[in-house]
Amino acid sequence: MNREISLIGIGQTKFGEWWERSLRDLLAEAILKTLDSSPCTPLDIDAVIVANMLGEWTDDQAHLGALTASLLPHHPPALRVEAACASGSVALYTACALLESQRAQTVLVVGAEKMTNASGDAIQVALMGAADSEHDQPCGLTFAGIFALIAQRYLHDYGLTREDLSIVSAVHHRNAKGNPFAQFRQEITVEAVSESPLVADPLRLLDCSPVSDGAAACILSTKFKSPLRIRASQVSTDTLSLTERTEITSFQSTKAAVERAFAEAEITRDDVRALETHDCFSIAALVNLEDLGFAEPGRGIEIYKKIFEEDEYPFFLNRSGGLKACGHPVAATGVKQVLDVAKELQTAKLRFGLAHNIGGAGATCGMHILEYTNA
Amino acid sequence: MRDTPPIIHRLQKKRAQNFQEGTVLSYTVLAHPPKTFKGQRTIGLIELEDGTRVLAPLLTRHPAIGMHVHPRMRLSYVTNEKLRVYEVAYESPVDVPASVPEGSAILTRGFPGYILALTGPSGVGKSTVSLLLLQTFSEYIAQVPILTTRAPKESDEDEYVYVSKAEFDALHAEGKLAAATQIPSLTEDRWYGYRTSDIEAIWSAGKLPVVITEMHLLEQVANHYGRRSILSFGLLPPGNSKRKMLSALLHRLRQRGRDTEEAMQERLKNAEADLAFFHKRRDLFDHLLVNEDLESLMDVFRKNVPGLSEA
Repeated sequence: MNREISLIGIGQTKFGEWWERSLRDLLAEAILKTLDSSPCTPLDIDAVIVANMLGEWTDDQAHLGALTASLLPHHPPALRVEAACASGSVALYTACALLESQRAQTVLVVGAEKMTNASGDAIQVALMGAADSEHDQPCGLTFAGIFALIAQRYLHDYGLTREDLSIVSAVHHRNAKGNPFAQFRQEITVEAVSESPLVADPLRLLDCSPVSDGAAACILSTKFKSPLRIRASQVSTDTLSLTERTEITSFQSTKAAVERAFAEAEITRDDVRALETHDCFSIAALVNLEDLGFAEPGRGIEIYKKIFEEDEYPFFLNRSGGLKACGHPVAATGVKQVLDVAKELQTAKLRFGLAHNIGGAGATCGMHILEYTNA
Repeated sequence: MRDTPPIIHRLQKKRAQNFQEGTVLSYTVLAHPPKTFKGQRTIGLIELEDGTRVLAPLLTRHPAIGMHVHPRMRLSYVTNEKLRVYEVAYESPVDVPASVPEGSAILTRGFPGYILALTGPSGVGKSTVSLLLLQTFSEYIAQVPILTTRAPKESDEDEYVYVSKAEFDALHAEGKLAAATQIPSLTEDRWYGYRTSDIEAIWSAGKLPVVITEMHLLEQVANHYGRRSILSFGLLPPGNSKRKMLSALLHRLRQRGRDTEEAMQERLKNAEADLAFFHKRRDLFDHLLVNEDLESLMDVFRKNVPGLSEA
């Protein structure tokens, strides 16, 4: 980073099914909490970046930049970004670019999604917009189906079992017990995951992150200081369709982003003590650990097994509960992950943390490294 | 999913280039596909022969990674504007017959439980080929015993189960035979058939049943289990004309020296009908092989029989 960017305020709604609240209500709540937690006033906000994927589908609402800016008294410049499930981290990336270029000194970033407005079938079809509409959609594939194809191949190549996958969700649910913002805070057993209804073979209901409403926001600033710094902000991309990739059991975009992020932050993998990865499906959590370089291909499960059986964390891994237990209001997730990493670093007095956010089946990967300078 | 006429039009134009054979790289069964498609839907990621990859429906009941599949055009659905949308789906040349008992070991082997059929005129070398096949792939396949009413002969290997005509008729009447036929002979009234229990026992043991067969039995097995349940190989004698093939057969029959001249002439007459059958019922055969070199034949099986490629 060519500027010192501080994370000066954070706030989010609890993720869940909020029938009585609209997209605008969710945005307002997250922004208000964020402003409350920060040393700046609303008038210090130079720009607003909004992350949202499905506004047109769920609320018949486009033009979210101006809509969000209108929640502030002075109508600052505002823009909306969209990169499917990676919208949140792409919003952060955009904010960093504005700050580094000195176009702005204090930027409000907010990600929000109001998924329960639409029926389950409509959401399933809408989410397929994150895949390739010419290559992936016509055969009737769903997003769970895409990750099921990845899972089927992964289990075949590395000899894992259905029960191995179940461990991942069980760990995430256990982690969420202490997170007041998580959608699901109860533990689930490995058997419960394995016996939950089939969604897309081999993935079952409890392998999948839920449909959620929620918003998460933060303020990044070069003018106001805090002990929390953004040390790296990277985005990388890959083809939308699995049909155009040579390998489907790992995501090239994650591999590219993580190398660039470590170079930018001038740290190594060993320095990372808190990690939030994008576990939209249980299989993704394993693939992510391997792509990020924390495990050899096919061996991500060993880390989860160790956590599950011995309650021993090599580093903080999805301590928030991940997407599975926290909920996954698509565009809010990327922002929420950075909030969680920040909280983990502060509470446990750790120095470096990494938030890994992907869109689609890894067609976009957004990555942020945070430093807590009081560690 | 949007299915306006321009989108459908563009899709239909691209279909033809996906009409190729391919290999399944991964697959999934969707319990809840979009409402346009009814019921469960199996989707495969398939690498086509030209190297491109497609996502498309798989019509196979028990898909597997590495399975070889063939394209098939079919009606996918009808839009609200009554546009008929066709799609290229893929299916295995063989499929698991509905009658494979639940829990059979074959279903967990990673390749479909079907029946391997070897058909050819007498003297073409069916027994030799099957013997080598069974030796080479003993872990994967087992021969289905042939039920016969004829008397045992000294030259018989242990492929026959001898029953009386009455026993045979009883089994036939109870529907316990997958196929039964009378092969006329100058000397005796001979019936041949396969018991369904024998075939199911082989599936249960996790192996592929092989039937060494002739045209009537093949037809009946195909009727009983469904054509897609059979991976069918026809075995031809060497030679590029019917006359040369028949003379090659006669040469082999003479070398074998089991039959009288009269019996040989009869076999040759049947062989002529068998050769015509290959032509007439080409649809019953997936592969026609010429029995010239046994080793290269084994390679053909290895390449074309799902499951044997790893053997």
